[in-house]
Amino acid sequence: MKVQIKNWHAVAQWRWDSVSDDTNKGDDDEGDVCGICRVPYEGCCPACKVPGDDCPLIWGECSHVFHMHCLLKWIGTAASKQQCPMDRRSWVTAERKIAPAQEPAASADHSRD
Amino acid sequence: MASISSRRLAKELMEIKNDGCPVGIDLVKADDFSTWWFTIEVMGESLYPNEKFTLQFRFDQQYPISSPAVQFVVTDGREAPVHPHVYSNGHLIALILSCRYVHPFLGNEWSPVLSVVAVCVTLQSMLASCKEKQRPVDNDRYIKHAPENPKKASFPLNA
Repeated sequence: MKVQIKNWHAVAQWRWDSVSDDTNKGDDDEGDVCGICRVPYEGCCPACKVPGDDCPLIWGECSHVFHMHCLLKWIGTAASKQQCPMDRRSWVTAERKIAPAQEPAASADHSRD
Repeated sequence: MASISSRRLAKELMEIKNDGCPVGIDLVKADDFSTWWFTIEVMGESLYPNEKFTLQFRFDQQYPISSPAVQFVVTDGREAPVHPHVYSNGHLIALILSCRYVHPFLGNEWSPVLSVVAVCVTLQSMLASCKEKQRPVDNDRYIKHAPENPKKASFPLNA
């Protein structure tokens, strides 16, 4: 039997890497919303229309996560004293380590030498 | 487009309607996203047995980035609790509601992760821990010149 593919649609899904892998995802609804606007991380802040790179999350060194736009609005006020809304420590944006992407092609290259 | 404050308040209102308020706190009215009323009473032993107070919240478009204006209602026979941090016109010396005054009990300030119910609970415990029913020392002076909106009041730090 021959199958001929006439056309196809690629579908992809993405999530912000907002929870560490060892925590139980989905169990705690509270953990998945921005504490400032109460909109899920996967959505966008109330000022934006489309989630994604234009409305990213921001991580603090204190481990708290917010929509970047929400946090910047707060940090921009004198009342915030540049403190994290959760623990009132001075806000320091954390460097995010990007997990190494799995690239099977890279290991194949080594074996060729 | 719905403002940021109304979206956030709609969520808070839904939570209140689904889960109810903490004991001693009841929603009186929330017909819009600018003014809400609650009643609070202190449960258990306190200096305020059988007293019920009405709290008014006013929100601006920047809520929750900006704090709500909170005060006790003192019209139509309602009275503000007699407390060292509550003026007789219903205004509060409470830090979570303004960034100007460090409240000895509350100890912390407004943060956008707080909510209307969280403020109610804080004020309820402020009353519960009261040791002596008295007005703030500068009550008479304050209410003479107090602005209509408590958020516009400037509390001197050494009052």
